[in-house]
Amino acid sequence: MSSAGNWHPVGLSHSLEAGNSAGTRLLARELVVWRDTSGVAHVWEDRCPHRGMKLSFGFVRGDHIACLYHGWQYDRGGYCQYIPAHPDLDVPKTFKVPVYPTQERGGMIWTTLSENPADVPDDRGDTLPLRSLYLDCARDTAIAALGTVSLTLFVSQGQADTIVNRVTETLYEVSAGQERLLIGVQAIADDRTALHLAIRGSPDLYEGRGQRHFLDWALRLRHVIEHPRHTASAPRSVTTEVI
Amino acid sequence: MSENASFVFSGRLRTDVFVEFVRHRAARLDLAIDIGSVSDEAVTLTVRGASDLVDAFEMACSLGPYQCLVLDVTRRTGLAA
Repeated sequence: MSSAGNWHPVGLSHSLEAGNSAGTRLLARELVVWRDTSGVAHVWEDRCPHRGMKLSFGFVRGDHIACLYHGWQYDRGGYCQYIPAHPDLDVPKTFKVPVYPTQERGGMIWTTLSENPADVPDDRGDTLPLRSLYLDCARDTAIAALGTVSLTLFVSQGQADTIVNRVTETLYEVSAGQERLLIGVQAIADDRTALHLAIRGSPDLYEGRGQRHFLDWALRLRHVIEHPRHTASAPRSVTTEVI
Repeated sequence: MSENASFVFSGRLRTDVFVEFVRHRAARLDLAIDIGSVSDEAVTLTVRGASDLVDAFEMACSLGPYQCLVLDVTRRTGLAA
């Protein structure tokens, strides 16, 4: 399992609209990913300090998220600012949800559980969201499968080898010719992994037909991982170069 | 509104466990706490802070930790200086 000191993707940016929240897990920890109405994404522990309710079931109001149970409202810093049952109470700073650093890069929402994380992956150029795959396998199994499914060209003609580059421990790039897919690897738990897929390139080139083209690759990848006995392995060149 | 409140928690208490428990709850509720007399039958303490949070403290401690059984709670309240 990847270490907690890294930055980890927890979803595609486009999958979380402003004013919404969603629950996820990272390294077996329960997290809420929410986006305030100004568009800023947040990743917190998915637990209200009051009664333990999941905040992912709560409501986003402006730059606050409110718990479904008793309406306790938390600001962007995770501090409780308002308790409906005690409207005049000056809420102490001890009523706080653990919050994690959050960044959006490469069309994905990233967080880290570390207080001293490595650098967040670079944001280089345009990306288009493809989809997320949620898989019943370990992260290493999912990563190993990346090089077994050939990427067919979309913009250019002909054939090219499929190459897998490791950008960081949690970000891979699968390429063939000029075509490039970014794969964010979310280790949900020991036996559960999410892959967040985005196309590296201009929306003018890939939006619509291009997304459907690479969606086929994503579905073949899922099939390889979920039905390994029915899929002949096709060795591909795999590099571990850090790009 | 802020207040001082003196409590006597009596019952079948394991003092080390119960005192740790009340200190943790007071810290969580941002209350100042002074521990008074301590025995396996009764723990006396005083907390200072917002009245609503003193109420919450009483509620939380009346249940006690798993290893203890709180049978009675006596509270004497006075406004904080």
